[in-house]
Amino acid sequence: MDLREKLNILGDAAKYDVSCSSSGSSRCAPKGGFGSGCEAGICHTWAADGRCISLLKVLFSNACKYDCAYCVNRRSNDIPRATFTPKELVNLTMEFYRRNYIEGLFLSSAVVGSPDNTMEMLVRVAKELRTVHHFGGYIHLKAIPGASARLLFEAGLYADRSSVNIEIPSDSALQYLAPEKNYESIYRPMNFLAERKIGYDSDHARHSPKFLPAGQSTQMIVGASGETDLQILRLSAGFYQQQQMKRVYFSGYIPINADKRLPAISSKPPLLREHRLYQADWLMRFYNFRHDEILDETNPNLDVDLDPKAMWALRHPEFFPVDLQTADYESILRVPGIGVKSARLIVSGRRFSRIRLETLKKMGVVLKRAKYFIYHPDTPASLRRLYPEMVRPLLVVKKKPEQLGLFDNYVPALPAAVSL
Amino acid sequence: MLAIHYDSSFDGFLSVVFEIYRQHLDVGDIVPVRPYAAEEGAAPDLFLQPFRVESDEESARRLRRAILNMAGEDILSLLDCAFRSEEPGIEMKIFAYLRKLFAQEGRNYARNPTSDEMLPLFTVARSVRREQGFMLGAVRFGKAPDGMYISAIEPKYNVVDMLAPHFRSRFPNGRWAIVDVRRRYGVCYEGGQVQFVSVEDPEAIAGIERSDEFARMWKSYYDSMAIKERLNPELLKRCLPVRYWKHLTERQVDASSLTIGGRNSEKRGGDGLGGANLPSAVARSRSLALSHGCM
Repeated sequence: MDLREKLNILGDAAKYDVSCSSSGSSRCAPKGGFGSGCEAGICHTWAADGRCISLLKVLFSNACKYDCAYCVNRRSNDIPRATFTPKELVNLTMEFYRRNYIEGLFLSSAVVGSPDNTMEMLVRVAKELRTVHHFGGYIHLKAIPGASARLLFEAGLYADRSSVNIEIPSDSALQYLAPEKNYESIYRPMNFLAERKIGYDSDHARHSPKFLPAGQSTQMIVGASGETDLQILRLSAGFYQQQQMKRVYFSGYIPINADKRLPAISSKPPLLREHRLYQADWLMRFYNFRHDEILDETNPNLDVDLDPKAMWALRHPEFFPVDLQTADYESILRVPGIGVKSARLIVSGRRFSRIRLETLKKMGVVLKRAKYFIYHPDTPASLRRLYPEMVRPLLVVKKKPEQLGLFDNYVPALPAAVSL
Repeated sequence: MLAIHYDSSFDGFLSVVFEIYRQHLDVGDIVPVRPYAAEEGAAPDLFLQPFRVESDEESARRLRRAILNMAGEDILSLLDCAFRSEEPGIEMKIFAYLRKLFAQEGRNYARNPTSDEMLPLFTVARSVRREQGFMLGAVRFGKAPDGMYISAIEPKYNVVDMLAPHFRSRFPNGRWAIVDVRRRYGVCYEGGQVQFVSVEDPEAIAGIERSDEFARMWKSYYDSMAIKERLNPELLKRCLPVRYWKHLTERQVDASSLTIGGRNSEKRGGDGLGGANLPSAVARSRSLALSHGCM
């Protein structure tokens, strides 16, 4: 099997991992080597499905000994199997990097032999890149559940970011779908890495080595088991607080395996739900929303027709209208249609002049949504209250009526000619 | 009223503003004369008298210092970014801002990002910076026979030299060049020095890229990364606008066309610009003043 074939098989097997970011690590090229880290991360290209490609995302091997229901690489699937050698992978990474195709390496693997065996191979690749070739690019290593603490620690020294995927948002569903896994085995490496990172971060000596400078991330599959959005958000809020995660990714379940425990293979991936979850995630990370503000027990799921911010706004009419001249930054951020950049611009600009609707438009504020929630002197006094039931239909994006097909409901006027 | 012509560089523009103040010129328009688009310039305005101002380093330096004193570093770099957009009329917009800045109420005015003069500059500079960030990822190097990594790009805005610090800190020991095909100039890095190069035959550069095995592997890897069930051409076009596809290895229609491009360039390598002799074949100009260290 030549390298190109291996790359296709192992790239194809890794594509369901959604983590794509290359952010959080800033460094110059090491002495005698090449490659640097960009704090904001750099997207290099976008695949035909619109997802960004930033790192060379491959599996080290796809010959897995586990049999998780939701995974392409489970041992009961009949697919071509391949395994890189560390040298091939190191070479490939460096050549791609020199051509500026990628920002670094995202290395994951199916479990071959034992978790320790697998983890050791991943660490060896990272170590060779860092110490032999003085590679300064981004490295994301997957922590294999069940690997020993020594290997995880070593991975943290070479990698920028590490991740352990929780995959299924509840323990019971996970054990049902992936008999060899449970939450305990997933949380253990996560917590170990988080604790070690805190230890290293508190050491401020100038030349102390860095431990996972870009932190940890995780991912969960949405729509494979019956969790509500509230459960998912609560879980991810916990990750942000307790494990100090940098990102939690959501992956709409794509039926790849025919399995009676999972949605039918013909069902469509819940892309809109995934999108709404990401929007809610953004509210938690950049807009100072708490997860229990976005959803609660009475409304456990996100609104499909409205983005979560508009949904929250309509449930809290007492909060609006917001006066852009006097309101604080946090309240301005809560206005649907106003983002972080516009809010900052408003706060710094209003010291000099009144913020008018035209100014907002020029700033790039989505007035279509924002205009119902902000106070401006031109509004008649009678309309200075928010009536959610009136505003809601105005905010929902109407579906374009579809063109009717000419022959969709075609009933022939005459009975078909009977051939005698 | 005058239509002032200048050499389309930022220093040239600053010299124009300097001269306007020095000679009390009554300016109607400021017109850049771009070397790569000399023929296709817009029709001259009938009612404006043409007037040429040469670029002068000393007056540009003095005006820079005045802007720094009045408004600060970040405003100067914002004006520079807005200028790089090369949008028609951007010179007059910047001039309108400078005029207000140097008027009586200047100092306070300069900090207001929402004023009528500042907001358009602010949004334009934002999109220039966005494209610069995008280009850091969208540059595709091809390896020339002599080991130099060469890339052709076609950005909408004039951002080529803004890319140099990033790639210098990334490949400090390598040799590389990034060429703006449309503006026919680029930056070239060799032996620790970044230099401006002008390029006569950009076609040849576009040809030499992407002709090796790794380019083909990258292309097939890219194709296999898309999840069939999630195909979304609209999202793709929004994230990766079609105008950039031409120079992206992975967006080429088929792998065989990559090799044809390669052969073409080999044929042409002797005359024009075959990559192997890029540094020697091009006219060098002064080296870029870049900050040392990381980005």
